Amino acid sequence: MSHNDLVIKNVSKTFEVNKSAVNVLDDVSIEIQSGEFICIVGHSGCGKSTLLKIIAGLLECNSGSVKLDGKVILAPDTDVGMIFQEHRLFPWLTVEENVALGLDNISGDKRDRIVAEYLELVKLTGFETAYPHQLSGGMAQRASIARSLVNNPKVLLLDEPFGALDALTRMQMQQEILRIWEKEKNTMILVTHDIDEAIYLGDRVVVISSRPGRILDIFQISLQRPRDRADALLSNLKKAIYSCFMPADHLAAKEMA
Amino acid sequence: MARFTNYLFFPVMIFVSWWFVTEHEYFPAVILPPMKAVSASFLKQLESGQLSQDILVSLIRVAKGFSIAAILGIFLGLLMGVSKTVNRFFVIPLNAIRQIPIIAWIPLIILWCGIGELSKVVIIVLGAFFPVLVNTVFGISQVPKDYIEVGRMFRLSRWKMFTKIYLPSAIPAIFEGLKLGLSNSWTIVVAAEIIAASSGIGYRINDARSLMQSEVVIVGILLIGLIGLALDQIFVWGSKLLTPWAHTK
Repeated sequence: MSHNDLVIKNVSKTFEVNKSAVNVLDDVSIEIQSGEFICIVGHSGCGKSTLLKIIAGLLECNSGSVKLDGKVILAPDTDVGMIFQEHRLFPWLTVEENVALGLDNISGDKRDRIVAEYLELVKLTGFETAYPHQLSGGMAQRASIARSLVNNPKVLLLDEPFGALDALTRMQMQQEILRIWEKEKNTMILVTHDIDEAIYLGDRVVVISSRPGRILDIFQISLQRPRDRADALLSNLKKAIYSCFMPADHLAAKEMA
Repeated sequence: MARFTNYLFFPVMIFVSWWFVTEHEYFPAVILPPMKAVSASFLKQLESGQLSQDILVSLIRVAKGFSIAAILGIFLGLLMGVSKTVNRFFVIPLNAIRQIPIIAWIPLIILWCGIGELSKVVIIVLGAFFPVLVNTVFGISQVPKDYIEVGRMFRLSRWKMFTKIYLPSAIPAIFEGLKLGLSNSWTIVVAAEIIAASSGIGYRINDARSLMQSEVVIVGILLIGLIGLALDQIFVWGSKLLTPWAHTK
């Protein structure tokens, strides 16, 4: 096992809903190499977001462990950044101030320089003093990506980051995130219910079932980037992933009806 | 233009009916004076400086009482919002006191503080404090969990959490409280002046009533309404200026 690996081992999580236990994650284990781009697909509410929150240290798991670099993650740390479906920029701060949020212990020129550098990376130079409500959805999400990157996290977690964007902006943002990933070289873990998105972006695609959230299958995609969205290999993969969710024919028929 | 008419039709109608009723002398002038008499009285009071003096006295009382209430309300509200312990400590007595109409306090406050300036200021503080407090506590309590999660991801210190997330997120609600508090202050100062005072706009209308000068009473009442409206507007503009994000949907 090399350095900066993220090891998720036998993670289970149960929530209590109306006094009955709901098993959200059941014995999930993945080993993720440093710099790998992992996509996790599953139904809405299958526990993918919960898994990300556990990796982020925002939630505790009931059993199992998440280790980064050999260290167990118990609380949020600057090593792990997170991007949510909503941009979650603070409306009372400018883009610049939002991006600088994680740079608390750095001051003055250096801080400004880092902020400018990341705003340039996400192509928001010129919008430093704009407020979030003045930005489009895509721009706001870029600003939130910059905000997560300023700490130079080893792992970036993306929780359906483009789910709220329109289809064209989404495709554009997928290319952007690849460009940023190739430049920054952090580990990316992206959660989505969009299979096309997952196979376009990921080195590996992890398919999770819902309730309980279990890993159904993991697909390795060794196709070179930039990928052709219409590539035959990808459409075969898409079929294979699709069939994970609809294992039996009668189930598929039921879904259609 | 249509909107303009929409806004102004009703107020204009009031004035027209007033004119009509007094022109035909349906009521004695002591009960409802004609508009002419009211505007003459307004000009006379304006020229003699009595009017500005009355208003100034009342506004200064409001300024004193309201500022004290605002500072106390925001300070305690923030503390109660942030700390469950402080909240539990104060919440029962404060909620009980809040149910007492402010007017009911006036006799007791006069017993304690006399009928001078102090008693008016104290009454205003009582009246303006609660809306500020309640709204501040509410503002802090409804900070979106999403933002708190972001704060946790960046490991913000407790102080930074407060200054960057809790406080700014509560500001629109605090403004709402201040607005209510100010409008309460203005209502209460007039009430207190009517009950016990020797100056101020409330004193003036009560004094004029005892002298059967109904036109002076009406000038006073109209001004009280207009000033109240103006104070309210100041807060509407102020909050738009200071919290632009809360006004874009």
